[in-house]
Amino acid sequence: MDVRNNRRTTAGSSVITANRLLDGRIVWLTDQGTWSVDIACAATWPNDRIETVIADTARHQQDQGVVGVYGVQLADQAAGITPLTVRERIRAFGPTVHPHFVPSHEDTPHA
Amino acid sequence: MPLLENGRIVADDWVHVPDDAPCPADGAVIVSFARVEEALARPGAAPVGVRLNPDTDVATLNTVLPRLGLVNVDFPGFRDGRAFTQARALREHLHFTKEIRATGHALPDQYEFMLRCGITTVEIAENADPSVWEKAHTRFTVAYQPSVLNEKSQGFGLRRFLDA
Amino acid sequence: MPDTALAPAVGRYAYDQVDRTFLRERVEQFRDQVARRIAGDLTEDQFKPLRLMNGLYLQLHAYMLRVAIPYGMLGAAQMRELAQIARTYDRDYGHFTTRQNLQFNWIRLEDTPDILARLAAVDMHAIQTSGNCIRNVTCDEFAGAAADEVLDPRIHAEILRQWSTLHPEFSFLPRKFKFAITGSPHDRVAARFHDVGLIARPGDDGRAVFDVYVGGGLGRTPVIGVLLHDGLPEEDLLAWLEAIVRVYNAHGRRDNMYKARIKILVQALGIERFREEVEAEFARMDRARYRLDPAIVTGIRARFAVPDLHAPADAAQKLQASRASTPAFDRWVRTNTHPHRVAGFISAVISLKPDGGIPGDATADQMDIIAGLAERYSFGEIRITHMQNVVLGHVRQDQLQALWQELASAGLATPNIGLVGDIIACPGLDYCSLANARSIPIAQKLSARFADPGLQERIGALRINISGCINACGHHHAGHIGILGVDKRGEEYFQLTLGGSGENDAAIGQIIGPALPEDETVDAIAALIDAYLVHRHDGERFVDTYRRLGAAVFKDAVYAPA
Repeated sequence: MDVRNNRRTTAGSSVITANRLLDGRIVWLTDQGTWSVDIACAATWPNDRIETVIADTARHQQDQGVVGVYGVQLADQAAGITPLTVRERIRAFGPTVHPHFVPSHEDTPHA
Repeated sequence: MPLLENGRIVADDWVHVPDDAPCPADGAVIVSFARVEEALARPGAAPVGVRLNPDTDVATLNTVLPRLGLVNVDFPGFRDGRAFTQARALREHLHFTKEIRATGHALPDQYEFMLRCGITTVEIAENADPSVWEKAHTRFTVAYQPSVLNEKSQGFGLRRFLDA
Repeated sequence: MPDTALAPAVGRYAYDQVDRTFLRERVEQFRDQVARRIAGDLTEDQFKPLRLMNGLYLQLHAYMLRVAIPYGMLGAAQMRELAQIARTYDRDYGHFTTRQNLQFNWIRLEDTPDILARLAAVDMHAIQTSGNCIRNVTCDEFAGAAADEVLDPRIHAEILRQWSTLHPEFSFLPRKFKFAITGSPHDRVAARFHDVGLIARPGDDGRAVFDVYVGGGLGRTPVIGVLLHDGLPEEDLLAWLEAIVRVYNAHGRRDNMYKARIKILVQALGIERFREEVEAEFARMDRARYRLDPAIVTGIRARFAVPDLHAPADAAQKLQASRASTPAFDRWVRTNTHPHRVAGFISAVISLKPDGGIPGDATADQMDIIAGLAERYSFGEIRITHMQNVVLGHVRQDQLQALWQELASAGLATPNIGLVGDIIACPGLDYCSLANARSIPIAQKLSARFADPGLQERIGALRINISGCINACGHHHAGHIGILGVDKRGEEYFQLTLGGSGENDAAIGQIIGPALPEDETVDAIAALIDAYLVHRHDGERFVDTYRRLGAAVFKDAVYAPA
């Protein structure tokens, strides 16, 4: 995991993300402790409380079938849950050059 | 640590002697290069093996090698592949014929590579399953390049039959 | 799977039962490794190099699988299977890369053993397309066809491929290791930008000899390779390469992954000392073990089916006539073909750079179309170029127009090879977790802006390479115009370089000024091209004008327009 991914400011809030092990899809931690492909379902944490949540979650990643757990800073001024950086927005909402490849539904191609 | 040879656990006759420990008077010992002469000087001619770092040039063993019964190469992490080259050089350049033992963090998936470079024994983790190593050894029946094991040519190209 | 006969394979190595057994064993090994990973018997850290050595990356959206296309050569049936895999396991498309491989972007780990099994059924694999090991050996896209070629390098490319496959000593190198080989005095493989670049030619006794370049590379520290050995005899080839890689395995840096390539070692030691190390190793080796017996070369060569290259006596004349009568076809022949060594034949380039499109992408349907065209026009043989296009190497000149008409109907006849529209771009931040910026949208905007074929021809030869980050998978250092995506305060910016080249005049592009935001970048490229058109002398390409005038004129065009 790239060190750049895990940056955050002291203020602000973040969500927690990972890849699903079996299919590699990007998932976001919900407040039920489940993983969703839709960032709109993600729980948010203030940055001063998120480190322990990330560490705890990372400890259980094998059991939960995910890999590479880290935090993603949100853009505070955005309407819905929106990552701050371009990179994380692409992870959340799909490649900009294939707008129809939207991850916000649970099905994966060719089930 | 359990000792693996040909995919099976075998008895280990050797003892590792850390640098800060005294060298036992008898018994087969594995010591660092700096202490080889000390170990060889023991009365009784008990076997001596040398522990290499990954950056050791095996050529430095040139004169002492005929008196050694074992060379220990190490994988500080499984990504560090220098032990493969060290083992190969020991076999090919220095014509060492005795035990080459691997310690450290190699994966079972590297076992066949280790054997084909001339490594003969591997110290594996206490809870490791030797059958995973054995399976790795018998997985492939052919290789695409020569090795120090001088495997039999398959008859076409550079291919070699791999023995189980 | 019963198999008694070798399927003829034009232009590439035909597998036999032993090769196929090996592939099946490799698939089962990976299937077992996946099972161990899912069960938690392998951690992600342990599993990662194992999956990388089967081409499987964990990427920005899903797993990405990089399928090997050895020395860029494919058969029609293989291309059809890639199309089927795209449909069944991915999203109906694939991306051809700057190392002649194919990438699928939406792969599931749990499907990968089955995908590898399907690839194995058509003699394909993803072995060592990633990992700290020897990667795909790349080759001249016109190998075996080009009029200027003196030796077909594909035989030795195959020998290197086999030799490096699951090499017991070289599978855990300090970093990746890339070979390129060409048999033409005109370097079309960027040999001088590879860890080892081989230039093959016939020696005095008719056997091949090799000029060996070492320590070239792009990325964070672009370096042009140095000549290590001039005229290496064929029978010493494997021993010499073993010696080079062995010195690298023993002495390459393992403390810093950004300084771990062989180019760093060659620079640190200096070429003289590096050569001494290699020669010392060569002298100590058991040379009988590593000798490349001429009989081995002959045996491998015999596995390459040779096409029956006979064209009618009036083939060239027919082509001339069609060119004269159809201007659009005539333009495409000017831009998208390459001279063939056999009278009456020609090589055709299928551009995967449609105006406003994603460079190097092909849909499953397009893959099937290309397979069919290869079968009917070029002996079933397909070449993938490191500029992300497709070549049909052996087309009869009297059939070229029919081929072009079919390409045109399929939207695959863009006449832009080597021109401003033939942009080379990595997937960038849309697809790659290493990237700083998106490369595809800039490529799309540029190719849309310069779509007009007449304008492209007027501008002439112009290599634009776009990399989304300093890893330089778009080879931007080697572009006449290079575009590098950088991260400036979390925003996507683009740095321009000028004057690079991957050919015989190998050169690393020079940065001309501060990085620009995306919309200014496209305008900047337009300004650079305008400056060139104003200042060029007759017969000068963009890069020639830049070399003659220097950077000042071009810098001003971008940063200080009048």
